[in-house]
Amino acid sequence: MAPQTGAGGEPTVLHVDIDAFFASIEQQRDPRLKGRPVVVGAGVIASCSYEARRFGLKAGMPLSEARRLCPQAVVIEGRAQVYRCFAEQIFARCREVSPAVETYLDEAYCDLGGTERLHGDLVEAARRLKRSILAATGLTVTCGLGPNRMLAKLIGKTVKPDGLARITAAGADDFMRDLPVEKVPGVGHAHARTLRSMNLRTAGDLRLLPVVALERLFGAPGRLLHERCRGRDTAVVSGREVPLSISRETSFHRDTADPREIEGMLEYLTGRACRTARELGVRPRTVAVRLRYADGESDERARTLPQPSDADPVVLALALDILGRLFTRRVALHHVGLVLSRFVRAGGEQGALFDEREAGRRAALYRAFDGVRSEFGHGVLVSGRALHLKGRLAEDEHGFVLRTPSLTK
Amino acid sequence: MRQESIDEPVAVRADFQGGVVTPVAFRLRGREHRVVRVNARWVDRVPRHPHFYFSVTAESGDVYQLQLQGTDLVWWLDSVTLEG
Repeated sequence: MAPQTGAGGEPTVLHVDIDAFFASIEQQRDPRLKGRPVVVGAGVIASCSYEARRFGLKAGMPLSEARRLCPQAVVIEGRAQVYRCFAEQIFARCREVSPAVETYLDEAYCDLGGTERLHGDLVEAARRLKRSILAATGLTVTCGLGPNRMLAKLIGKTVKPDGLARITAAGADDFMRDLPVEKVPGVGHAHARTLRSMNLRTAGDLRLLPVVALERLFGAPGRLLHERCRGRDTAVVSGREVPLSISRETSFHRDTADPREIEGMLEYLTGRACRTARELGVRPRTVAVRLRYADGESDERARTLPQPSDADPVVLALALDILGRLFTRRVALHHVGLVLSRFVRAGGEQGALFDEREAGRRAALYRAFDGVRSEFGHGVLVSGRALHLKGRLAEDEHGFVLRTPSLTK
Repeated sequence: MRQESIDEPVAVRADFQGGVVTPVAFRLRGREHRVVRVNARWVDRVPRHPHFYFSVTAESGDVYQLQLQGTDLVWWLDSVTLEG
């Protein structure tokens, strides 16, 4: 399906990006932090203020390095629940201007195709949205308007923070030609290294390669790069977000080798990840377990389920099996995580004929669990090994208070 | 910056105007703290009834987090953030 076209015949996507999201909220909550370098994260930086970025700090950097580069930085562990509330306020305003909004943790894509008669000038509509978000939350956002998602996001990046920019289809060619290859979506460190070794430095240079050459170099993503370096992106704005993966991970409050605590945490994380999958109407094919040991070494292993499933016991059985094979070193664990990926739409997969009644009963049971949990909080129903966490971890209405709540999806 | 958990129900004087609630002062351990500024407000709609949160600066300059629970309209003082 192609993106909707507006009255002018050009599809228009608005990309809304919340500036320095977590750090800006912390500065909002405590005005004494305004103008100071603020870092949010535990172990690594999840978000940092623009003042902190001037010292070279950036998301993903270990906190030890951040403290070395900027000793005066204020470090805050962060509260995912607070950030989610602010994001929801912002996304609610996006939904007032667009019928199709696709949301992520700190950004949203709004399809504005066909809304010109309603909004008039779309740049002015974006400006109004920025003002309305600022008035409601005190936060600034950067808006990019473009003929597709990729261009809307890329043009927004040129005017961060608190900016607004528009690129038209006619201007896309010039804009993309000079873009450094590593800025082209889909080009990571490894791809950029390969391309630079071939003296291909900009998206314009990349256009010199035929699609078959890109496919030979990078496999299937090569075809996407062939389109993207020309400013083409056919992905539509979907109102319902289907993520590439759902991960739930946390550090332990204290490094541990206690199998009951580790398995209990894995069961709890599995419950949360499966609930999210059910809410999104997707079932994972692949389950991965991530471990980080107290000495800094880490390991990850993934396996495929016989049938895609969003049922806690099915996913947990495989996760525990992976954990048993993966956790072999005699070193305490610092961090454990579960990642679900390769989703199929619930109901879209083939199941075994005689399992259908059982699957139906199980689905009804989990619908009931999810209903209770959304009414009273995830923590009201805790089962099996996760009971070992009771008393060890504090709880709030969202469940156990983890040391590292999922600040990123 | 140092955040200390308080987690106590408190008496709050608040303005309810135009469908918006704004805390004006609260009484903690017998002492009234006047709110000089509401820094931020947000709503958590995940629980059964919404919880309304406020980050406020008191006269002392300390920043407190207040919570109004939609269930029973009880105010809670969640935490205080102190300089240093």
